[in-house]
Amino acid sequence: MIHFISKRLKHSLVLLFMASLVCFTLVVSAPGNVAVLIAELRGAVATPGYVEQVAEEIGLHKPLLMRYVDWLGDAVRGDFGISYRTGTDVSADLANRMFVTGTLIVGSAAIATLISLALGFLGAFWPYKLPDRVSRGLALLGASTPTFFVGALMIYGFSVTFQLLPSFGFNGPKSWILPWLTVAVLPAAVLSRVVRVGLEEAMTSPFVLTAKSKGLGRTAILFREALPNITPLFINALGTQVGLMTATAIIVEPLFAWQGLGDYFLAGVRFRDFMVVQACLLIFLTFFIVVNLIVDLAVLLTDPRIRRQWS
Amino acid sequence: MRDEALLNVSNLTVNLLTAKSAVRPVDGVSYSVRQGECLAIVGESGSGKTVMNFAPLGLMPTGVTTMLSGSVKLEGRELIGLPEPEIQKLRGKSVGFIFQDPMSALNPVRRIGRQIAEMAELHLNMTPRAAEARALELVKLVGISDPVARLRQYPHELSGGLRQRIVIAIALAGEPKLLIADEPTTALDVTVQAQILRLLKDVQRRLDMAMVLITHDMGVVAGAADNIVVMYAARAAECGPVDKVLVSPRHPYTRGLINAIPRREDPIGSEFRGLPGIPPTLGAPIKGCALAPRCELAVPACSNSRPPLVRSDDSSVLVACPVVNQGKAAA
Repeated sequence: MIHFISKRLKHSLVLLFMASLVCFTLVVSAPGNVAVLIAELRGAVATPGYVEQVAEEIGLHKPLLMRYVDWLGDAVRGDFGISYRTGTDVSADLANRMFVTGTLIVGSAAIATLISLALGFLGAFWPYKLPDRVSRGLALLGASTPTFFVGALMIYGFSVTFQLLPSFGFNGPKSWILPWLTVAVLPAAVLSRVVRVGLEEAMTSPFVLTAKSKGLGRTAILFREALPNITPLFINALGTQVGLMTATAIIVEPLFAWQGLGDYFLAGVRFRDFMVVQACLLIFLTFFIVVNLIVDLAVLLTDPRIRRQWS
Repeated sequence: MRDEALLNVSNLTVNLLTAKSAVRPVDGVSYSVRQGECLAIVGESGSGKTVMNFAPLGLMPTGVTTMLSGSVKLEGRELIGLPEPEIQKLRGKSVGFIFQDPMSALNPVRRIGRQIAEMAELHLNMTPRAAEARALELVKLVGISDPVARLRQYPHELSGGLRQRIVIAIALAGEPKLLIADEPTTALDVTVQAQILRLLKDVQRRLDMAMVLITHDMGVVAGAADNIVVMYAARAAECGPVDKVLVSPRHPYTRGLINAIPRREDPIGSEFRGLPGIPPTLGAPIKGCALAPRCELAVPACSNSRPPLVRSDDSSVLVACPVVNQGKAAA
């Protein structure tokens, strides 16, 4: 167990390092001259001399490797530099925005888990009957509707037509519900299939025949015998979906006027605000890697067979 | 009570319907088992021996429609036509099951202790704590060393033989009166087979249960069973006390089966003596004797009508063969 954790931690660190390299390289190799942009943003006429001065100021003339080492060294200490666009400290912006995006992802993951378990169980309890067909239909619909459209529908339904929930802003739980639901739709649809198919497969295993021979009823078999068997599978799939939520956040946060990381990232890309883009990318990648680490540990806890390989 | 059969099956026919096909794996079979008695049901793969025992108790895969006719009486209670919730109450409580492959019969992600204890909770209305104690008792009963540690383990941590002992412990946990063991030793190492069989025999005797032992191993039959039913192509070919049927088989199929067992006197390198031909597929019921195409005694009349089980010169042995039974009245 300890061995496994230390090994996985080492892997994660290597991965994180490589990820930082990739995200730095990508941003640096993007076309366009950031010095020109900054010069224009400052309101001055972008004469070649002034542009040159700006470039010097933000360190564009240093060798790439040096820029990378400087940036990473600062980032590790929690200093992500200064936004080219606004001149404010990126780290200060991040703290607040991470909380917003964190709220979005945690809430959506919880909702997606609940909905997918409910739909999946419904289908597995009455396979190929009406509840199964409804659950399958909803999954198909949910998985094939683009998130921005789901968000628009949510606003139209809950805010405009019924006026139940605020259509934008980050002001307490009531304003969180619509963004949560919007982000949760796609993962809930995908995960409900994972639950449904996993349960069906588990229900045809020989140990279910044993369970039946013990006199257990269908509900007991589904919950006591089949559910523990699909838990590792579900956690794996959930991890992937939660990781992908960072991407969904980029779409959904601007939609609901949430000032989260997704919104920050999008603005950063639009204005070639490299410091912001790099910081967001690095956080997204770290989040991905941490989620994967947690998933691996959770699987280890829920599947005694894998636990044994590592003990 | 002892004279009355615990399980009385008469003229049981099972039809299985799937979306694409219909088969009749059991065709008019009768037998009975008394308390404390062990009945062996022998036959090759596909002869219907498992379906015959599982179908009346509702243990069939989903997606298959099972149609039963005839009569299956457990402690005088008719099982055919009994609704599933009622049958569910009997499973584990009145009838314990042991399966062929202990490697897959246990839930891989649940502790062994829980898998045994939940039986006691379900059928003996025990508290979880009492059920745990009962599980410990059962694990000791089936002869597992270090029982306390075993209860906390998962199935994959045990060997095949130990897992089969756990399956037996689960089957015994509800204090059933009848034990149905479906090829309990087939998937095990040869050295372990004898131990498991001895254990089964031992608990059956100590708990005075009836046991139906489904097998195709004549050695198992000789070692454990009191009576035997030989199945061929969904029908009973011969039945009677084990010592009589095995020593002087009358039906040509039983003779062929026993003859096929390799003997010590066989010269090294000699060929196996198998029955020629293959068993029929279980499609439409066969009009005459199902064995006729493979039988050395067959006469044209064999294919005319289905041979009934007839009492042989020994009144405890019934044989379904028109040639052997020539001149005898149907039983």
